[in-house]
Amino acid sequence: MKAFSYSPAPTAAEASNEKDSRAEFFAGGTDLLTRMKLNIVSPDALIDLKSADLPNGVSEQNGGLTIGALTTLRDIEQSELIAEKFPVLAQAAALAATPQIRNRATVAGNLLQRPRCWYYRNRHVDCWLKGGSDCPAATGQNQQHAIFDQSPCKAVHTSDLAPALVALNARVKVRGADGERELSIEDFFAPPTEDRRRETTLADDDVVLSIELPSDASHSVYLKAMDRKVWAFALVSVAAIKSAEGWAVVLGGVANNPVRLGPLEKALENTDASDHNALDKQHDKAFADAEPLEHNGYKVTLAKRLIRRAIEQLSD
Amino acid sequence: MTIKTPEIESSKNDGDIELSLPLQQDLTDWQTGHEFTVVGKPHSRLEGAEKVTGRAQYSADVRLSGQLYGAVLRCPHPHAKLISIDTSEAEALPGVHAVISQNDQFDIDWYSEEAPLFSDQLRFVGDEVAAVAAVSTEVAADALRLIKVNYEPLPFVTDMDQALADDAPAIHDGDNRVEEDSEYERGDCAAGLQQADITVENEYRTQTALHTALEAHGATAHWSGDELIVYESTQGVHAIHGLLCEKLGLPMNKVRVIEQHMGGGFGAKQTLWKPTLFAALLSRKAGRPVQLLLDREGENLATGNRNSTLQQVKLGASNDGKLTAIKMTCRINAGAYATAGEASNVAGIFQHLYHCENVKTSQVRVYTNTGPAVAFRAPGYVEACFALESAMDELAHKLEIDPLELRRINYTGRDQTGDKPWSSPDGLKTCYERLDEEFGWSQRKAPSSEGSIRRGYGLAAHEWMAGMGNPPAAVFIKLNTDGSADVVTGTQDIGTGTRTVLAQVAAEAIGLPMESVRLLLGDTAIGGVAPVSQGSFTVPTLAPAVRGAGENLRRQILEAAALLLETDATTLEIKDGEIVSTEGKHKSLTVADVCDELAPQSLQAHGSRRANPTDTTIRPFGALAAEVAVDTQTGEITVIRIVNAPDCGRILNSKTANSQVIGGVTQGIGFALTEERMVDHNIGLVLNADLEEYKIPTVADIPTITHAEVNLPDLNANNTGAKGLGELPLIPAAPAILNAIFDATGLRFTQLPINRARVLAALQAQQETAE
Repeated sequence: MKAFSYSPAPTAAEASNEKDSRAEFFAGGTDLLTRMKLNIVSPDALIDLKSADLPNGVSEQNGGLTIGALTTLRDIEQSELIAEKFPVLAQAAALAATPQIRNRATVAGNLLQRPRCWYYRNRHVDCWLKGGSDCPAATGQNQQHAIFDQSPCKAVHTSDLAPALVALNARVKVRGADGERELSIEDFFAPPTEDRRRETTLADDDVVLSIELPSDASHSVYLKAMDRKVWAFALVSVAAIKSAEGWAVVLGGVANNPVRLGPLEKALENTDASDHNALDKQHDKAFADAEPLEHNGYKVTLAKRLIRRAIEQLSD
Repeated sequence: MTIKTPEIESSKNDGDIELSLPLQQDLTDWQTGHEFTVVGKPHSRLEGAEKVTGRAQYSADVRLSGQLYGAVLRCPHPHAKLISIDTSEAEALPGVHAVISQNDQFDIDWYSEEAPLFSDQLRFVGDEVAAVAAVSTEVAADALRLIKVNYEPLPFVTDMDQALADDAPAIHDGDNRVEEDSEYERGDCAAGLQQADITVENEYRTQTALHTALEAHGATAHWSGDELIVYESTQGVHAIHGLLCEKLGLPMNKVRVIEQHMGGGFGAKQTLWKPTLFAALLSRKAGRPVQLLLDREGENLATGNRNSTLQQVKLGASNDGKLTAIKMTCRINAGAYATAGEASNVAGIFQHLYHCENVKTSQVRVYTNTGPAVAFRAPGYVEACFALESAMDELAHKLEIDPLELRRINYTGRDQTGDKPWSSPDGLKTCYERLDEEFGWSQRKAPSSEGSIRRGYGLAAHEWMAGMGNPPAAVFIKLNTDGSADVVTGTQDIGTGTRTVLAQVAAEAIGLPMESVRLLLGDTAIGGVAPVSQGSFTVPTLAPAVRGAGENLRRQILEAAALLLETDATTLEIKDGEIVSTEGKHKSLTVADVCDELAPQSLQAHGSRRANPTDTTIRPFGALAAEVAVDTQTGEITVIRIVNAPDCGRILNSKTANSQVIGGVTQGIGFALTEERMVDHNIGLVLNADLEEYKIPTVADIPTITHAEVNLPDLNANNTGAKGLGELPLIPAAPAILNAIFDATGLRFTQLPINRARVLAALQAQQETAE
């Protein structure tokens, strides 16, 4: 790890002002520090947000819920309010990483985490996402990689909270150069592009303030398939919600960003959940544009099965 | 065959008291164990409290005055020529005290190929290029980044199959075969296959697995005048001692190797690796102690692995289940170099486990541009047991014979390669009985189905080529003037409980309570030469010598007591530190009283390990059964329970024995389900040289593991009846789990590990076939 300066920021505004491209915001550090130790990011400065005036914790507001940026995954997992009104989110938090990491990791950091792709994380690989010319995963060991083609990068988004928050239509409050603004989670996430090789649309000096959840989703579930019982990133995960407005079905671990299966959500409104044949047809349609790589075709099967299981659980 | 009465192992006593007691007196106890007060008991580890309170000093805890910290620069290419290396900027960095590289022109060779310590031919990602010592690990890491290396990348091959292609790049001179194929045949295998009513034939692949000891490789080296002291994390202090002397050209009385506690080795620490020598060389150059401990990346890239294998197996059998032929051909991925230590013996289990007159095996090691392989807990047998026991399960299924019954049908009590009896001919049979009792194999339910969950049962058996122990081992016991005893050995406790178990043997043999015995080990300056703790050797090597020394001392104490009591020594015994009359009368006397009378003189005794018998082959055995659940929708595998019945002869400590079973089976679950070193063969890089993506099982992955104690003293093996245990529980775990998966789902896997990708692909293929 290269030497760096460290400064705690007193306010979000000052943190945003101080930030340049050679600095990194720092809170839980569970993602940033691992990348620094691997020498795949070597900032000159860390701006610590932990003591800044950022919202921390979970509170009810205007019929919805506000989750402060510094709220830890453990706080979310243990919040009775979230367990009751947003079980999909509580379950997602509980299935993430390990208790030690959940005690430390913040919700904002979780959404902003970089891929765990083993090419991206190898300092000897100059992959497309790190500014190189191509993605070695496309023709390499891509067991854990994307089945939906969103960019030249084949890495998947490994956040457990992200699919849940997309399903919940969360909004993200940020403090940037021009003051505060709020954007929908679907605008917050975006597959990397030629000029912006990261997984969110945030500007360099944007500080996440909070996550806003507009309405309850007490009938919801998060399912995660791993290659070990605990402490692994999702091979595939699904966040599903059934409400008066209809269904929400969002996948994790299958693309650069969480993938909302919009057509499937619509079709589910008119499909009898106990009619497996009809469901299977809808699933096949939902994955018609999947482009599995050499070693990850199983993810299509796995995703369909997890979705079916989630629908069954919510249809009981 | 009858059980012989072995002789006490000891050298001639040179004390003042003449020995007159018949040696046979105590043997009854060691045959039956009925009178034991210490041996066999579940004694907690002597150093347990020290360890759990963090006070035990491991190699990483050593802090010497002025100590520097080392780090290693590694080659990022799978195959490259080092054109030049410039370390000047690193040397100029404040806080850096020494840098070593090819520029130092050390005349030291390494690996079986005798490559230079710093070679200009770099043959795997992680190959060592330079090392630095600095005031902190951070400064050392900074220094590494300042070293300028000019590499010329060379064509490489990391895949074992591709390495044997005609146009494959040569890793050393020649065709990438490490040696000629090692062939074995008895009977006529081709004829045996022709006679068979039924055959089973498959190609099995096992993965490269990493030892993943909690404590990485490393050492602290310190020159005191012209004497080198090394605190090392090793399975063999004497092996490191010898190798350091050889590499550095030092006399053995100028080098001392110390290790009191160790955080796991599993075979990868049975020989000297470069980092320890780097620590010594850096320390000499810097004039200060140097601690060089590897990070997980270095550990995973360059300190050994379980070689991947490709095994072609064909079994022939008659309709009644009797094997008529066993044929096995295998390739082993040696990595870029051949290392010292236990060889990976894939062929062994095919030659020995079952009665079969026609057996043919062939194995060869293949070079690839990957980190060198080294022994890993039952090297070869773990890989081979998966293949053989999967094939046997398939045979049982095809013949509609119960898998346990099929194994009994093919039982042998003899070593068919040496044509002599096993030391414990009923050992494996007893394992089968105990497994059946504890698991309820014969009473097991039919495979069941609930929703998408399928449950099934599987088992596997094995023998193990080591575990017999071997000389040399010399033990010295000093009876202190207060009646307590210091037992001095040259072995080491690699975390298995050796210290405790040997103290129990000493206490039992002398007649002292455990609290009165101190067991010394892990220091080449105090103990006699003892073997590396490999091959489940330590207890069966050391315990007989400890017992010998203990019995020797006991006799001396009794002789002295007899003089004091004016009686015949044969009427006396020592129990729990007290001199007891077998005739029920004399005044009370303790061992301490005897010592007090003798003071300032004191008693001492030696014991040494005899050669093993030549008319029998010593063998440990084992059997293991698993119950597994498979979710046929999501491919999730859950191991529900495991029962393991290993025959390690007499169990000297049931608690530490349980630990070996739990640990070994846990590693077996990882080998079966999650662990695999991944290499991108296009670019030659290792992708998971970390703990994040090299997935060892977590507590949540481990079911209840039951140790079905066999506890069958093998007094043909040695005078304690104990054989090795450490490696046994890992050997049969993966095939038993895989056989249970077959029982549950009808899916037969021939490639490890069985992760979701493989399960789901197989389920899909099964479904398509059904449609």
